[in-house]
Amino acid sequence: MLLEIRNLSLSYGSQAVLTELNLEAEQGQLTAVLGASGAGKSTLLRLIAGFEAPTSGEIYIDSKLVSSATEVLAPEKRGVGIVPQDSALFSHLTVSQNIGFGLPKGSDARVNELLELVGLAGFANRKPASLSGGQTQRVALARALAPRPKLILLDEPFSALDAELRGRLREDVKAVLKAENASAILVTHDQEEALSLADKVAVMREGQVIQAGSPTEIYNEPVDLGIATFLGDSILVDGKVENGKVSTDLGKLSALNSVAEGQVGVVAIRSENFYLQPNPSGDSEVIGRVFFGHDAVVEVQTPKVKIRARSNGPFAPEVGMRVTVWVRGAVNFYPN
Amino acid sequence: MRKPPALIALLGVFASLAALVPLGYLLFRLGAGADAALTELLRPRTLELLLNTTLLVVSVTATALVIGFLQAWLTTRTNLGFGAVFAVLSTLPLAIPSYVLAFSFTASFPWFSGFWASWLVMSLATSPYVFLAVSAALVRTDSSSEEVARTLGLSKWQVLVRVTWPQVRPAAAAASLLVALYTLSEFGAVAILRFDTFTRAIYNAYRLSFDRTAAAALAVVLVLLTLLVIWFERRYRGDYQVTRPASQKRVRILLGKTKPLAALGLLLVAFAGVGVPLYSLANWSIIGSSTADVSEIFEALVGSVTLAAVAGVVITVFAVAIALWVVRYPTGLGRMVDYSVWANHALPAIVVALALVFLGANLTPWLYQTTALLVLAYLILFLPNALGTMATPIAQVPKSLEDVANSLGVKGNRSIFKVVLPIAAPGILAGAALVSLTVLKELPATLLLRPTGTETLALRLWMATEELAFSQAAPYALLLVILGGLPALALNTQARKALSEVGN
Repeated sequence: MLLEIRNLSLSYGSQAVLTELNLEAEQGQLTAVLGASGAGKSTLLRLIAGFEAPTSGEIYIDSKLVSSATEVLAPEKRGVGIVPQDSALFSHLTVSQNIGFGLPKGSDARVNELLELVGLAGFANRKPASLSGGQTQRVALARALAPRPKLILLDEPFSALDAELRGRLREDVKAVLKAENASAILVTHDQEEALSLADKVAVMREGQVIQAGSPTEIYNEPVDLGIATFLGDSILVDGKVENGKVSTDLGKLSALNSVAEGQVGVVAIRSENFYLQPNPSGDSEVIGRVFFGHDAVVEVQTPKVKIRARSNGPFAPEVGMRVTVWVRGAVNFYPN
Repeated sequence: MRKPPALIALLGVFASLAALVPLGYLLFRLGAGADAALTELLRPRTLELLLNTTLLVVSVTATALVIGFLQAWLTTRTNLGFGAVFAVLSTLPLAIPSYVLAFSFTASFPWFSGFWASWLVMSLATSPYVFLAVSAALVRTDSSSEEVARTLGLSKWQVLVRVTWPQVRPAAAAASLLVALYTLSEFGAVAILRFDTFTRAIYNAYRLSFDRTAAAALAVVLVLLTLLVIWFERRYRGDYQVTRPASQKRVRILLGKTKPLAALGLLLVAFAGVGVPLYSLANWSIIGSSTADVSEIFEALVGSVTLAAVAGVVITVFAVAIALWVVRYPTGLGRMVDYSVWANHALPAIVVALALVFLGANLTPWLYQTTALLVLAYLILFLPNALGTMATPIAQVPKSLEDVANSLGVKGNRSIFKVVLPIAAPGILAGAALVSLTVLKELPATLLLRPTGTETLALRLWMATEELAFSQAAPYALLLVILGGLPALALNTQARKALSEVGN
């Protein structure tokens, strides 16, 4: 195991930022730490980098203890690189000087290799002030990768960029990390980013990792309602387990997780799991539609509840049409 | 584009012509007596002055840079603690005019004179400029680039040298220029401490021998040195800017075992720069209180305040007029006026005073030794700074407000009085107060140009010090700090900002 965090806690006075946090990350993988702002994600990165000391618990890198309440290995001795949110380039140095900052003198070949890798070969002698937001982040990534650290920490590296640039840079960063066979921890509040980039996702809430697993696991089987609604647009419907099925206002649904007879709880259904079948004598009516091009979100009034369904853009039903609502596949049931 | 009102143009052109007087007269004087001037400059004495002045400027600049940088770094970037207290202590010497600082030292230690004395006093007096500039830069630069440097293998001391210092270097260079210019043009302190630099030599050449050519020749060298310092700063300050916005977090470096040493160093500097002078002034004031002539002190006080108020109003009128011209009616002539006024901003006061003495004695005898000529000197000396502080509030009034006022029926340029000046008034008033306080503390020009019978606090302090009557001088020194220095420090926006930013 490359990174192992055991029962890590940090509090400032009476204010607990992290409580008994556990996390593992493997060699060569990209691990995303996903959480809303204020969940303690950035603090976790600062602890891994060695900028702060934990109140209790331990951090191991390559099975070596680097942080505990009593012992904190200095940041420069950890072999951990960081790409801060605002990239924090050295404004007095050129792009290639920035990238070569952590390298011994005469490492031009390595600098050029990285310039090439992040697609900034023509920018070697520019000053950071003349770069765009995306270019700045590429330089910051190259700078962190240059000394071949054991682990790279990425602190919301795409949050300051516009949507289109973000999408492209994500792909590039993933490719660069793979090319360098680097192990990375990515902190983000963007579900889409975590799910699309990471080999493993750890969901954080209130200073703890609530669930960790592959993106599909996390998305399909969130351990609680909070994560289910955080990860994607979900409709919540009350349900009761009868004869092994969950009986709801939207019909009888099969549960993904194991359920006990007679349990009462809530079912979370993702909006893309609804199927709207046009049916003039259907019991539901389309009452609203937001068109996004590639798809559309359709608001439907069923006899008892109002739902929001994601539908293939060009073929989405019009407002006023009558439909029958089907739930595709199994759903997650959360007992009260 | 609208034309500037005639009054604005008139004031601007007058200020611009006045600004050309000092250098113009020096050049004229040199042309008239070129041979005599050359003989004067070739004397070994000139070389000695050059060495003395250079030695003082270089050593003071270096010392102030080290002291100011360490003060700023320790208070903003380390876990030293008591940041607000140390920030106040580092800034407080600004409240003590440098000749008062010099006086307070000689009054306590009779042997205190010469190079080392001047070096110490000038370093203590100027290090706050470096402290303010560097602490502001440190607060504004993001400490996350320092953290990144740690992850790239640098120890905290290497980070200080390779990341922190380069980021604040432009600010430190600008402050060093200020310190160098300040030291170069300083007259009162070096004169009291009896160290021969150009300013003291110019004064002596004029006062003791009425040797105008010698004084003018030395003044020209001083002006050339000033230009050299400005050129140096332009050449070596570097072309990059720290553009990062204020960072959300400030990470402090743990000092460990060096902490007591650092605290002791800062306290020692504060003791020398604030403790010694205040103790000395208070002590001598108490000694002198029994024999002090209250009516004499009161007379000097009234003289100082009157002069400061009159000069403050005059300079403010000119500054506002030129600021309006430059900001609201950008014309070629307006820019030329602006440039010509700024050209004087680094000119030593003694040079300006000398030029006006010559002018008054030879060309305009009816002006010689009048308050008007002295106020003209203040105008030439302090208009650049006043313009700097007053142009900002005027420029900050949106142009659209004037357009709205015009559309609501305000006729043409009346909008300046209806809209622009009322909105900019707080900034203009603060600038006016600051200029008045600067005039209150001024020594060399007042000394050379004072109208017969005029007494000021600075003049009384100077004369009593020349007679080594320290107990007589002390009350004046104390009043200069209380009435001139402290209020000026309180009005100093840079200092206020630094204190509020460093404190948290």
